[in-house]
Amino acid sequence: MVRGRRGGYTRLMLRALLTSIFLLTAPPAMAQGPVVFAASSLKTALDDVAVAWEMRGNPAPVLVYAGSSALARQIDQGAPADLVFTASADWMAWLKSRELVVPGSEIALLGNELVLIGPAGDAPLALDADAVAARIGADRLAMALVDAVPAGQYGRAALEALGMWGRLAPSVAQTDNVRAALALVARQETPLGIVYATDALAERRVSVLATFPEDSHPPIEILLALVQDTNRARAFYTFLQSPEARAIFVAQGFK
Amino acid sequence: MSWFELGPAEWAAVRLSIQVSFWATFVSLPFGLLTAFALARWRFPGKTILNGLVHLPLILPPVVTGYLLLSAFGRRGPLGQFLEQTFGITIAFQWTGAALAAAIMAFPLMVRAMRLAIETVDPKLEEAAATLGAPRVIIFFTITLPLILPGLIAGVILAFAKAMGEFGATITFVSNIPGRTQTLPSAIYAFLQVPGGENAALRLVVISVVIAMSALALSEVFARRAAKRVAGR
Repeated sequence: MVRGRRGGYTRLMLRALLTSIFLLTAPPAMAQGPVVFAASSLKTALDDVAVAWEMRGNPAPVLVYAGSSALARQIDQGAPADLVFTASADWMAWLKSRELVVPGSEIALLGNELVLIGPAGDAPLALDADAVAARIGADRLAMALVDAVPAGQYGRAALEALGMWGRLAPSVAQTDNVRAALALVARQETPLGIVYATDALAERRVSVLATFPEDSHPPIEILLALVQDTNRARAFYTFLQSPEARAIFVAQGFK
Repeated sequence: MSWFELGPAEWAAVRLSIQVSFWATFVSLPFGLLTAFALARWRFPGKTILNGLVHLPLILPPVVTGYLLLSAFGRRGPLGQFLEQTFGITIAFQWTGAALAAAIMAFPLMVRAMRLAIETVDPKLEEAAATLGAPRVIIFFTITLPLILPGLIAGVILAFAKAMGEFGATITFVSNIPGRTQTLPSAIYAFLQVPGGENAALRLVVISVVIAMSALALSEVFARRAAKRVAGR
């Protein structure tokens, strides 16, 4: 008798637990806002733009941040993106070659600059192989993957154009994304790093020591394109190009 | 088979991965065995905390573990500074750092397998040997070790496999320096970041699978031999 009653109680508790787990984890109602697949480096600025868009009474956009390669491959596999916003010309070309973006919708919305950074307060540095090598010493120069991640590719191109790559290549520590290179300098693990101007602006613990001349690397363009030709996609696409959105991007250091 | 020809950078990644995984497993083996014994047999205050700490790398995202390692063992980290000043050893951005990251990530798997094996050993066998006058060291090597050997091998193989595949903590802690810290997973990741890099990545994946399968087959042979010896006695 007693065992039976206790078993019944346990079963009741178990049922209550399962029901509450089910209710708590039930999928939420479908979001109505546009789904934007964006490069991680856009996060700070695009979050602010999304807030401005919502303030105008629009449904909140779904912002998906990841590396450009992951975003492109997911779109190729049918991910439900409305817009794609990437810093990688290679991946945008790849998407176009597979006819995954709406023809003619691709625009270079924003620009960025490439900078040499050091721990906050360090003296500015001339972009000269000897000077930079001296500052690195036995330590390292932090960069995003120089063959794979856009920030690293631009950085390598700039160092090659300035005749510094051969000298500095053995000292480079490559990270999987540009923000990780930023963190290495911020933590003073490496005395120097190469990141976007917008990254340097977002981190108080680093200073810009030099800005790479515009002609030392291919133009840094942040590309926007429509994946779906729908009204909700078009509406956000238009808003991103508005003066209001542009002011927010510029405040974060974009050109 | 021209498809399968590897460049020097790819060979370096293969060599480095084996080197890192071997040393990570080899050096953590005594610590893993000791921890497994402590958790299985001994009673001491803070046992729950030790158990939690050992399992932490399983629970935390690898990137977080890598960041914690960087904070502790980096050039500006307390342990990193201590090692550099006392022994002149730098771990950050070196292959030793990759081995440390791999060892930490693999440690809970090693300890779990060994602990389970130790818990199945009947303490009465060891007690019987002790009453017959055998010293503890002899008891360990003639009774306990042969009995837990299959579990020990399983732990070692699990740890080696985990070390071969470790990526998140490694790239966060020691970054990706070809020939020095670029392991197989780092190289595969880098190839996947560029359009058209899939073939190069696939070659390295095939090599990873071959290495993992060989290690597994080897461990099966050892485990079977160990089981036979125990049964035959």
